[in-house]
Amino acid sequence: MKYLKQVFTVTVWEYRRFYKPKNELVGIVIMLILFSFFYLGSKYVMSDTEKNTLTLLENTAPGLVDTLAKEFDVEVISLTAKDQFLKEIIDEKEGLLLLEKDTGYVLHSWKKPAALKLLQKKLNSYTQTKVVEELGITTKQLDKILSPAIVEQLYFDDSGARSVLVYFFAGLMIMAVLVSFAYQFTAITGEKQLKITEQIVSAIKPQAWMDGKILGITLTGLSSVVAYSIISSLGGMLYFQFTDRPVSNIIEILHLPSILIFLAFTMVGIMMWNAMMAAIASVITDPNNSGKSSLMLVPLIFVVASLLVSPDHRAGVFLSWFPLTSATAMPMRWVVSVVDWWELAGSFAVLVITFYLFRKLAAKIFHVSILISGKEPTWKEVWKLAREG
Amino acid sequence: MNRNSNKLLWVEQLSKCYQNRQAVKDISFSLDEGDIFAFLGPNGAGKTTTLRLLLDIIKADSGIISWNINGKNTRLPSSQEIGYLPEERGLYPELPIIRTLVYIATIRGMDADAARKAAMEWLEKVGLADRAGEKLQALSKGNQQKIQFIASILHKPAFVILDEPFSGLDPINQEQFIEYIKEINRQGTTILLSAHQMPLVERLAKKVFLMNRGEQIFHGELAEIFKTYGHQHILNISFSTEVPEEKLRILTDMQSLVFENSYETKITLKPGANLGQTLSELGKFENITNIKSHQPGLHDIFLQLVKEHQP
Repeated sequence: MKYLKQVFTVTVWEYRRFYKPKNELVGIVIMLILFSFFYLGSKYVMSDTEKNTLTLLENTAPGLVDTLAKEFDVEVISLTAKDQFLKEIIDEKEGLLLLEKDTGYVLHSWKKPAALKLLQKKLNSYTQTKVVEELGITTKQLDKILSPAIVEQLYFDDSGARSVLVYFFAGLMIMAVLVSFAYQFTAITGEKQLKITEQIVSAIKPQAWMDGKILGITLTGLSSVVAYSIISSLGGMLYFQFTDRPVSNIIEILHLPSILIFLAFTMVGIMMWNAMMAAIASVITDPNNSGKSSLMLVPLIFVVASLLVSPDHRAGVFLSWFPLTSATAMPMRWVVSVVDWWELAGSFAVLVITFYLFRKLAAKIFHVSILISGKEPTWKEVWKLAREG
Repeated sequence: MNRNSNKLLWVEQLSKCYQNRQAVKDISFSLDEGDIFAFLGPNGAGKTTTLRLLLDIIKADSGIISWNINGKNTRLPSSQEIGYLPEERGLYPELPIIRTLVYIATIRGMDADAARKAAMEWLEKVGLADRAGEKLQALSKGNQQKIQFIASILHKPAFVILDEPFSGLDPINQEQFIEYIKEINRQGTTILLSAHQMPLVERLAKKVFLMNRGEQIFHGELAEIFKTYGHQHILNISFSTEVPEEKLRILTDMQSLVFENSYETKITLKPGANLGQTLSELGKFENITNIKSHQPGLHDIFLQLVKEHQP
């Protein structure tokens, strides 16, 4: 009971110490302002774009000239002026000259032009129209020829559609780990530098203190991520609303049992990573001058591994059991492949055990490392002291 | 060791070795309820290691530590029953003082409201009540030390360890701290005091434990240490010219000689020495401007015992 009360006290303390709703709100407002600025700015730029000038030779097919004239300011020059125009492109480093050939088209330009995509689109359209005329068929007939085979998809297990949920929780976890990560280092190395630790360990067992820290900082990271997720979701819904896309498509894939499984893996995964980071931070005395600070890059391995996971491959099976990647890899396998319940339970159990061991290790390392004053303990010293302790 | 019922802590044959260094070697001592117990020794004597052993921050290699707090025998008291002001100390500089005090007290088991009330009472007492909401870093070093002290005793522990409570304090604040320590002792807290300011320790402690190089040198009543080692005479002598060391060394009863500066010296006479005879011998020195005789204080005894204990 005393242990739980102490853990709760430290959890609340760490959460209140690091989670600043006011700062969070300011960050969200700034994000929205920047997003609005860029969105509206790009809209304005797109709407106000002047037509590009495109130069054609006088022997260009009239139909092509008409087609291109709808999107470009077309300028037609004589055949004899061609060489002079090419010279001008080199001298002035601007200008677009399109030549029509039997096999297609040739475009002369100083650099790859910004309007290339638009030009390609118009040329495709013109070519298709020409083909339709040459073959003596209608546009509808051409569309039918080009259209793909229709396959009606009926699945007995439609859980694959829920992969979007896996991506959501994986993203949530990655963000929460990365956000928590900075706080974890500040919380532990900062207190060691401020010499608070000895006062604390005389009042509370290192395990209770470490557990409170892991929970408090996990909550801090999750609060930030959830706040941004809610704002992003609301933004997404508004976007769908304005673009006439059905939000109901997303609601259909909200499957409660899946959400509970993903949530369990995500929560334990975040705590496992925070416990691991706490163990590393406990060894570091001064983050600015410690060689061990390079271990701060460890979560990147997990991010990369999670993104590369291929559920059907043997590597995917390994990653879905390996505790540093299983929190994202197993839910992914579960939705896109056939996974027995015992595999799901086994992977989760390994994840929980790893979290348990990391939190024990973190407390033990912290306990022994604070007693080595004046210098940062080596891994050998930490290992030796941890065994003695 | 006689384990009387009023003994709050007894330590027997305690030892701790770090790799090849014997930090603490077979030390034994005990504290009665209500004691102010001076725990003395030069830097590196093993004091901090012993304090960490008492608090179970590190484990002893051998020996017994037993507690009897509020009539309850235990191997380790609860965190609520113990207070600790470590030598290596710090709090959260960027957070409000009251919040930090309440936090430390609550993890020691105190109710948050009671902790807030007690914190405000102590802040009132030390003249910082109006700054309770300020960040710790806004306070002067002396005032920050007051907050550290409050954090260690706010939960009204039965026993508190104060490791170097006077370090870095000016004389005015030192006097204030003496009063604070006396007050918590009057309220029933037993105190283990580790400090290097011997005149201040003399004014507070009833019992003394002295250690050097991990070993016990003395353990007993303060009066006893004076009775055993305090009967020698110490002479502070000032000269108008440089101290004539050669001549002083041939004084009949001289035990040791320490130079204060080029013109002043301190002579400790042998136990049972005849002061009149020494003064008579010194009367033959023409360049003496002042002689002051006094019994050794704790500071002098401390230096003497540590010097005698050197290998």
